[in-house]
Amino acid sequence: MIRMANTISTRIHDYLKDYPPFSLLDPHQLAELSASVTVQYCRPNEVIFRQGEKPEQRIFVVREGAVQMVRQEDDREILVEQCDEGDVFGIRPLINEDNYALTAKAVEETLLYVVNVEKYRETWNANPKIAHYLASSFAEGLRRNYDTHFKNRLFLDQDRYIDGHFHLVEVQSLEYSKAPVTCPSKIPIQIAAGLMAREEVSSIVVVDEKQHPIGIITDKDLRRKVATGLVPIHQPVEQIMAHPVVTSKKEMTVADAQMDMVKHRIHHLVMTEDGTPDTPVVGVISEHDLLVVQGNNPAVMIREIRRSRKAAELKNIRQQAESLLQKYLYQEVSISYISSVMTEINDALITQVIRLCEETMEEEAVKPPGVPYCWLTLGSEGREEQLLRTDQDSALLFGDVPEEEYPAAKAYFLTLAGRVSTMLNECGFDYCPGDMMASNAKWCLSLSEWKEQFGKWIFEPIPEAILHCEIFFDFRPVYGDSSLAAALTDHIFESVGRQTIFLSFLAKAALQNPAPLTFFRGFVVERSGEHKDEFDIKARAMMPLADAARVLILSARVGRINNTIKRFEKLAELEPSNAELFQQAADSYGILMRYRALQGIRNRNSGRYFNPSELSKMERINLRNSFQPIQELQSLLNMRYQLAYMR
Amino acid sequence: MWFFRSNKKRNAEPEGDGPAFWKDYLRLFRTPLPAQTPIHEVPFVVFDTETTGVDPAKDRILSIGAVRVCNWQIDISGSLECTIARHDSNTSPAVVIHGILPKERPNDLEEREALEKFVRMIGNSILVGHHVGFDIAVINQALKPLTGSGLKNKRVDTGALSKRVNPVSGPVYPAGPLSLDDLCKQYRIRPSDRHTAAGDAFITATLLLKLLSRLRNRGVQHLGDLLRSR
Repeated sequence: MIRMANTISTRIHDYLKDYPPFSLLDPHQLAELSASVTVQYCRPNEVIFRQGEKPEQRIFVVREGAVQMVRQEDDREILVEQCDEGDVFGIRPLINEDNYALTAKAVEETLLYVVNVEKYRETWNANPKIAHYLASSFAEGLRRNYDTHFKNRLFLDQDRYIDGHFHLVEVQSLEYSKAPVTCPSKIPIQIAAGLMAREEVSSIVVVDEKQHPIGIITDKDLRRKVATGLVPIHQPVEQIMAHPVVTSKKEMTVADAQMDMVKHRIHHLVMTEDGTPDTPVVGVISEHDLLVVQGNNPAVMIREIRRSRKAAELKNIRQQAESLLQKYLYQEVSISYISSVMTEINDALITQVIRLCEETMEEEAVKPPGVPYCWLTLGSEGREEQLLRTDQDSALLFGDVPEEEYPAAKAYFLTLAGRVSTMLNECGFDYCPGDMMASNAKWCLSLSEWKEQFGKWIFEPIPEAILHCEIFFDFRPVYGDSSLAAALTDHIFESVGRQTIFLSFLAKAALQNPAPLTFFRGFVVERSGEHKDEFDIKARAMMPLADAARVLILSARVGRINNTIKRFEKLAELEPSNAELFQQAADSYGILMRYRALQGIRNRNSGRYFNPSELSKMERINLRNSFQPIQELQSLLNMRYQLAYMR
Repeated sequence: MWFFRSNKKRNAEPEGDGPAFWKDYLRLFRTPLPAQTPIHEVPFVVFDTETTGVDPAKDRILSIGAVRVCNWQIDISGSLECTIARHDSNTSPAVVIHGILPKERPNDLEEREALEKFVRMIGNSILVGHHVGFDIAVINQALKPLTGSGLKNKRVDTGALSKRVNPVSGPVYPAGPLSLDDLCKQYRIRPSDRHTAAGDAFITATLLLKLLSRLRNRGVQHLGDLLRSR
């Protein structure tokens, strides 16, 4: 191969191809465009263009240095955006004929690629992806949005993460069940079946005196040959066993095992010391085991959860759910689907834990009070948004009992809740640092006590009460008598209706944490211009949205929708005039959930705090764009509840 | 009349020889660029050559890369990049560095064509290069058999310019000639495509802009200021 005719434009091409909108161009157009670029030098504080100036047919890409976009308002300069390497700015000429709405100024010595777009304006606007990009990054005045067109570009560089993070399940080596259940060939079928039932296995290997396999009996054999009366139950097992046995060596992969099963049309594989029937049995693997190992089936996981009896098993399944989550995230499966699957799994797990704890108490002869109760999840799990195992937030609500029975009932439920909470902790759900758990006597209450508690929060909205509201108002029943929860919800709406100022307090609290302005290099840039190197995605981006959704949905008197995305979608339906904003808020929230979960998976933590330098350029752009609706929602709350006048 | 004509002919004589492009070129120097031309209006051509060695008298040009710089901008579309066909099989050590093998390739130009393109591109611009004296000497050596004379342009050496910006010598800024790599480091310029003529020309152009910006802060406002002291 000869060297390309122009080294310089090739280098420019290689740079531009990583950043939108250039990454969306067809290769020929990008090559042509790269050859026509001008490189512009700007000294510190040099103005590149001014607010009010008429744009020329060109856009700018920061190659080196930094550029600030500021809006002149009276005598003030308001920082609107700070661009660093790879950022595109001044795209107004591509959108409309207006004059620049902002002034662009080099912060430091800066090199820009100036791209003449006169030739491309039409073709770009005709390309939906590019048009979408342009519209979404058109910073001022227009809102940014995400939709399905652009969705698959959210993780532009996902390959980077897939490498090394994903084991190919198919080549994972199998962990076969140790200590397989075996029996001699002469024992009666009834005894063998009893053994299988006791060990909770679906198969038993029939062995000779040296533990070499000679046959296998599965549930299916018992159904077809015994239960039908074909073979009496006192006959020896050799009468019904399948033989010879298909054996395989103990070191094998999931794919090997699957192939063997398909090839021999069997559902169980017997593993022996050397893979032949002439050595002792070391394990058995069933088709079901393979499904579980693959962990790609939420239905299987939920069934497994319902079968589990130990915290360790539940923890294991929840761990598998995390790999499923990771896979979904990288495959850009819709966030509503992901959260509903994860919520199903979490709910099943919580339910199973409660059942197991109830059983244990029964075994210990602790008598339950004759009153229904309902287990409530709060916070993110209450909102059906807990993708990673963050902390447990819960409450317990029990039916009203006569005064004399109250102490016993409360004692029972507190004990139960304590056990549930301990077991959930063993499953990997941290205790709530604020002790907002059903095991806390304050949050394990009867219906009338809860009504009183919510009434207190609503009618005396002191800051601490508001803080509680943010968690407790998102309660959701997961186990027990949900009519109790419904009664509580009705009571809350009734109280809120009588005390409308409460919503203003809630709205004011929702404004406490405005989103930062943007990211710049490795930093979070505040509206004040301050730089920080840690970003709290929960407090600075997710909670402001969740809080706004809660206030607005409470105002709209819509109950039983807890999920922030669903709340915004409902609001969009109820208020067509703000539908666009609400839809964008819903999209933003979905994006934030994704990032948080991804960061959590990458860093093996809750994903809440991270350094922006861990993100790729594209991720930073997406994240930053998702802040936009926060600001607009907050000004909507400000107007609607006239918060400027509130002290 | 006869006297007049003869006089005119004598005056025109330097333009009389050589190919058409050379005549066009020489014509441009009748009106020199005024010394009071503001820096941002000065047309620069930043260039670099790759050669078979370091002796202008003996070694030949392998490639030329050049970009225009004016008004604080580097114009990529007007850049020049050409490799020159070699008809001998002498592989000199420089080939190893530049990676240009003495093999004929379809995009190669004959030396004459390359020189013509280069001369047409530069016109009367100020020639800039890193240790530009060498590159000009190499070009002149190649031009002489064709044109009988060498380049007439004013020149600016980024090596010398960097010493004007930073006259202090010491451990950080060594006293000897500064290499392009050193300056890239100092001025945070990404040294991509080093040792290709075009790559080096582009890097040198970036360096020129950064140096000019610093000199501007010290009163170098016009072409005259730039050319005055070395």
